[in-house]
Amino acid sequence: MSRATSIAMLVLLAGLGIGLTWLVHNSSAPRIAAEQRLIDSRNLLDLLTPDSYDNQPLEQPLALENMTLENSTLLTGYRASKSGQTVAVLLRTQALGYAGTLELLIAIDASGRLIGVKTLKQSETPGLGARIADWPNIWLQVFSGKSRTDPADAGWALKKDQGQFDQIAGATITSRAVINATHDALRYFDEHRQALLGSPSHE
Amino acid sequence: MNRSPLLPSTLMLTPLIGITDTLMNALGLWLLFILVITAFSLSMALLRPRVLPSTHLLAGVLLAATWTSCAELVTQIWSLPWHQHLGIYAGLIALQCVVLEHAGFFHRARVERLQLGALFGGLLAGVGLLRELIGNGTLGRHLSWLAGAGQTDWQGWLLTADGGLRLATLAPGGFILLGLLLAAWQAWQRPQPSH
Repeated sequence: MSRATSIAMLVLLAGLGIGLTWLVHNSSAPRIAAEQRLIDSRNLLDLLTPDSYDNQPLEQPLALENMTLENSTLLTGYRASKSGQTVAVLLRTQALGYAGTLELLIAIDASGRLIGVKTLKQSETPGLGARIADWPNIWLQVFSGKSRTDPADAGWALKKDQGQFDQIAGATITSRAVINATHDALRYFDEHRQALLGSPSHE
Repeated sequence: MNRSPLLPSTLMLTPLIGITDTLMNALGLWLLFILVITAFSLSMALLRPRVLPSTHLLAGVLLAATWTSCAELVTQIWSLPWHQHLGIYAGLIALQCVVLEHAGFFHRARVERLQLGALFGGLLAGVGLLRELIGNGTLGRHLSWLAGAGQTDWQGWLLTADGGLRLATLAPGGFILLGLLLAAWQAWQRPQPSH
């Protein structure tokens, strides 16, 4: 057990260790990536009922223009279609909440009605504004079925701002941010309806 | 060589506070810990006669790093959501291996080692159970993640509808709970005063 054999053993050990780790990493990377994609898609697509679409919306993000809206910024959009006909458009927007940025996913169907709103990222006060992140969410369900005309533009605000929506108790700024971002998305959908829905042949 | 008995205990305290916010997390980390410690002790036993005593620490570091990295990759394949909840505590196992080796843990009798491992597991499971019950009102949340990838998420037995005391799921709540448990243990151990 001389010094030289000791050092040789350590070098051999280091080589074996690095080699084994590299091997395991390479053989597992594709499986891990696929699993991550599955989790992401399950997370983003559970606003839509599974049999209402048959394509892979997340694979082809839409090319959007004029992404800076009045109270929010659009990040990406996805289109869900069944047999070639667009069933829903998913818009991913970013808005300013109370403590940081909020990221919302807003699902609008082909006729301009809201299917649902989901919170993807938030850093609001736990127990107050952070309640928008619960899923399924009682407060966000109020938005399902609403559209640009129901309520009218003036109705898209909190009740204390002469609108129609109740706020989350103790989280007025967060509630306002969500309402404004949703209204922005509906207005954007109206203005860019053709581009978002895709082929005009379904009219 | 200073063989302080406190250092291994200190390193066990970190996961005891950090990973016990749900029962699933605590049990999962304990399983991972047992696997890596076993692999480490077997390979270290093979290596110890073949290298100089002054290089035992370096050899231990290399072995611990290799085994922990492979274990983390395997947990990622086994169940990705579970790995994301483990955070930094899976990597901490490597440090625990090295410190235990340095403190002479692997030279103790096998029974003693098994006892300490079981004690660690019992503590983790107990604190995890309490914190989940008090903090979330559920029992066994996300336990299905331990069973492998692609399992539907199980929210656990719901015991209180409103959630619980959120403080218990955060680190300060863990410290407070551990302090209370320690106080209760000491009160139980105190001999009864004879009147």
